Amino acid sequence: MAEFPKLTYEALTVGETFVSDEHLVTPEDIETYAFAVEDHHPWFFGPSPFGGPVGHPTLMANQALHLRHGKYIVHAGLHAKMEFAFLQPIEPGMRVRSRGRVVDKYVRRGRQYMVTEYVTEDLAGTPLVRGQFTQMLIPEGTRHGGH
Amino acid sequence: MAVTEALAVGQELPVLVKEPSQRRIDAYSGVRPRSIHTDEDWARQKGFRTTLAQGMMSTAYVSEMMTRLLGAGFVKGGTMSMAFIKPVYAGDRLTVHGVVKELRPEAGQTRVVVDVWCQNQHGEKTAVGTASGLRA
Repeated sequence: MAEFPKLTYEALTVGETFVSDEHLVTPEDIETYAFAVEDHHPWFFGPSPFGGPVGHPTLMANQALHLRHGKYIVHAGLHAKMEFAFLQPIEPGMRVRSRGRVVDKYVRRGRQYMVTEYVTEDLAGTPLVRGQFTQMLIPEGTRHGGH
Repeated sequence: MAVTEALAVGQELPVLVKEPSQRRIDAYSGVRPRSIHTDEDWARQKGFRTTLAQGMMSTAYVSEMMTRLLGAGFVKGGTMSMAFIKPVYAGDRLTVHGVVKELRPEAGQTRVVVDVWCQNQHGEKTAVGTASGLRA
């Protein structure tokens, strides 16, 4: 039985790794994403320079961003920075998963941050997207305060 | 689908307008309790005036702008680096901007580097960064 400890700055270890479940990319995923971000590019639904339809380049970004949820209970957080390198198009019918590794954690102006590098790949291990993201932790019992 | 005319450093890209409604945020983030994106009470408890769009939605907007500019050269070979500097709230109206920063040779093509940012209806920048892609 897997245990899900609460994510705290203290519990987090630089070098620890995460892996997502595999996900089958469906036309419905692509359509939902297109609605969410108000972008109905014809390549998402028909022929593209890559042959058939492709997903939005950032389609699977949340799979990576949520990696820590597969290991921890996450109280609340804010996304501070995001980097992408789009290596191969994501196509409907692919099964994809993301892997991540915590490469840094730090406190700045009293706020706690974690930095994760990641790759989203198909099940043959072909990298589709690589990148890195920085997330702020909002500890339990505290408020961020907005801007 | 990509822009075919010549590009020049300093050139402004056509501005995109985006309105991340709660319904679109729900579709993007998935509805769940205790989420600052989809649970208004929870967002207020965490110090925000209402729910927030995920920062990642702004990267999708920039991706759209870059795909319009460079087509396949962004979908395969594109990069993006963004910092999220102010929350985007449900119901905000964002404009997405880009200015060509650099054109440099890369493997027989040209890498087009663009300064990008999103700005809310109050004129405040919410996300800033750069994006790039390849052009034959």
